Amino acid sequence: MAKKGILIAVEGMDGSGKSTQAKLLYHWLRAKGLPVYHTEWNSSKIVKEATKMGKSARRLLPITFHLIHAADFADRWARQIEPVLEIDGIVICDRYKYTALARDGSRTVPAEVIEATYAFAREPDLTLYFDVPVDVSFDRIAKGRPKLKYYEAGMDMGWTTDPFESYRIFQGKVSDIYSGLVEQGRMVSLDALGTVAEVQSRVREAFQKNIDLSKVQTIDQTDRLAQNLSESDIDWLTYAGGGEGK
Amino acid sequence: MSRAGKLIVIEGPDHVGRTLHTRLLSARLKAHGIATHTIGLARSDLMGILVKSRTADIHQLNWRTRSLLYATDLHDQIKHEAEPLLDAGFVVIADRYTITPRIREEVRGGDGNWIDSLYSEVPSPDAVIILHAGPRRLLNRIMFGERLEALNHFEAGMDLALSPSITSSFLQYQKTMRQAFQTAGVKAGATLIPTRLTVEQVHDKIWESVHSVVSDMIQPIGEA
Repeated sequence: MAKKGILIAVEGMDGSGKSTQAKLLYHWLRAKGLPVYHTEWNSSKIVKEATKMGKSARRLLPITFHLIHAADFADRWARQIEPVLEIDGIVICDRYKYTALARDGSRTVPAEVIEATYAFAREPDLTLYFDVPVDVSFDRIAKGRPKLKYYEAGMDMGWTTDPFESYRIFQGKVSDIYSGLVEQGRMVSLDALGTVAEVQSRVREAFQKNIDLSKVQTIDQTDRLAQNLSESDIDWLTYAGGGEGK
Repeated sequence: MSRAGKLIVIEGPDHVGRTLHTRLLSARLKAHGIATHTIGLARSDLMGILVKSRTADIHQLNWRTRSLLYATDLHDQIKHEAEPLLDAGFVVIADRYTITPRIREEVRGGDGNWIDSLYSEVPSPDAVIILHAGPRRLLNRIMFGERLEALNHFEAGMDLALSPSITSSFLQYQKTMRQAFQTAGVKAGATLIPTRLTVEQVHDKIWESVHSVVSDMIQPIGEA
């Protein structure tokens, strides 16, 4: 069966700028009148509550951390991603299963286990890896932040008692796994250093090179305009439509 | 019994632009010196809060129970709002009236004649307008309006098990609903208006079909 829709994923370290770029990509495609949807990691309303509780109670272990994030993804897959692909729309995922491979893998969950859990999530048509040196992304996150969150810093793994040191260790592992995925050709590496505009032009270039939009049906202009219209946009005094009754 | 006011019904599926066009019509009528009031489904003081806050539970009710709750809701608005205001000379616009409550149960196997009997005492409309659009167009609007997450299972016909995908189910369900709206519209002598046109063009068509009903009430806006 032919793949339906167009699935785009962005991946990268915290602080690599991928979320900013993913949103710009979304707004660009939307402005082109294409049916496009944007979804973020760990944002399922129902599952997020449990994740939050598990994190604040520091109750999550590598396997439950893995499974609960997969539950979040599965909920978004069913509600947001698959339904849009089903109608040949475009979905932009800010983080995809590669985030699980990188983060859960760094937490010693075997890659085969992670792949098996996410077996229902097909390979995207394009996965952009926002490549910045680990030091750069580390600085972007660590600077100006008084403290790092427990799981964000990988403190649950007990590598060290210093959160910033722990975060550096964690990000090093994450970066290694990402590099391996790029080498395997599962993600396209994109130079993410530079201004937002510079990176966005690289994103668009990579998108245009890899994605064929010819089969995506544009949303009619009348339907797009209707979404933005309110009664205040019409001046009844000068309104000429509708024949009689002026 | 003749009333001073007029009742205009605008029907059609969700996302077709019903509420927008109700608002535009109301604004234009007011600009012409005509007092208006809008009623609709699940808006009564008696039932509105219950229906809106327990949507999922209501969708799981038996069709008869659900039909009765919606009939209670509409009658509450008719008795407390529509009838007194019609007597006073208002134009009452119903953003959905008796067609939606019937056909959405009929496509689920409910008895349409029985549902109609619940509404035998309601005021008859002076004009009925049915807005329609292809299912994919409705879906595109939902997507472009960034409301896909708000699409509920009932409105996508998921309870009919047409497809496990909410979008595919929506397309099939709305196709059935569109046919049902057209059949009901013909029976009710409604003006059927496709909303693939621009908002202004759709509004113009609505205005044309309403104009003759309200022509003796209209006052000019400016000097022509």
